[in-house]
Amino acid sequence: MSEDPKLFPVKLVWTGGKSGNLTVDGKVAIKTGVPSGGPEEARFHSPEDLFVASAAMCYMNGFVEFTRKMRIEFKSFECDAIGTLEEVGRSLEVTKIEMTAKVGIGSEDNRRKIERALELAAKYCFIGNSMKCPVSHETNIVVE
Amino acid sequence: MTDDMHKYMVTVNWKHGQIGNLIIDGKPKVEISTPSEFDGPEGIISPEDLFVASATSCLMTTFVTFTTKMRFDFKSFSCEGHGTLERVDKGFQFTKLLLKTKVEVDSEDLKSKAERALELAGKYCLVTNSMKCPTEHVNEVVVG
Repeated sequence: MSEDPKLFPVKLVWTGGKSGNLTVDGKVAIKTGVPSGGPEEARFHSPEDLFVASAAMCYMNGFVEFTRKMRIEFKSFECDAIGTLEEVGRSLEVTKIEMTAKVGIGSEDNRRKIERALELAAKYCFIGNSMKCPVSHETNIVVE
Repeated sequence: MTDDMHKYMVTVNWKHGQIGNLIIDGKPKVEISTPSEFDGPEGIISPEDLFVASATSCLMTTFVTFTTKMRFDFKSFSCEGHGTLERVDKGFQFTKLLLKTKVEVDSEDLKSKAERALELAGKYCLVTNSMKCPTEHVNEVVVG
């Protein structure tokens, strides 16, 4: 991994109403829409969904990365993220994201390391750190 | 919940390796992973993709809202989002976002309206307003 900036190009093409087709070269397309756009459009991902999702996904990827570096294994990882949209000044902003992560582990021995991996993942989350709003992390580690 | 606050809930579920599922109630499931730039697999949507994507889709829906308020039609809309991720003090962050938007209208007299709607969409885009990095807009309105 070099220190050069990395570029992430995406393309969005309007398909009617408030819906669009979102493409990233070589990856599956994502249809976008808004809840107020009728039953069809409401089924597609909204910009707010994608924004909150990007933070939750980055947290997961960071966690996976740190468990690899620490050479520890886990059985499952699940994270719920709730983003709050509020009026700030004259426009709307996402003012907070609350994450709740649940990690399943094989035995008690790894609990502390998993806690540490979760902490590091939160601290070094590229996406969370690119957002203005605070991101909180509640964690729950269970032996499965 | 009042009109002044909306909440968005998303779930990520780890599957294996660096791959997981993004789950949002009532919407299609999206497979996600670490981006290939950070040693993830090729061809799967990454959080970095979605971060940039959330900005493009928000710009589009905001643009559509302004065209409705201003009572004019447009023929097509497409937006390319280019996010730049760079190393800063605390790991990587998005340091800039470039949104290149092309709108097609039917006649010359709609050009200035479409330009204005794009300007307002950029100003009131709640997703880019929730990001730390500056957003640069390059807008092109053509008669098609």
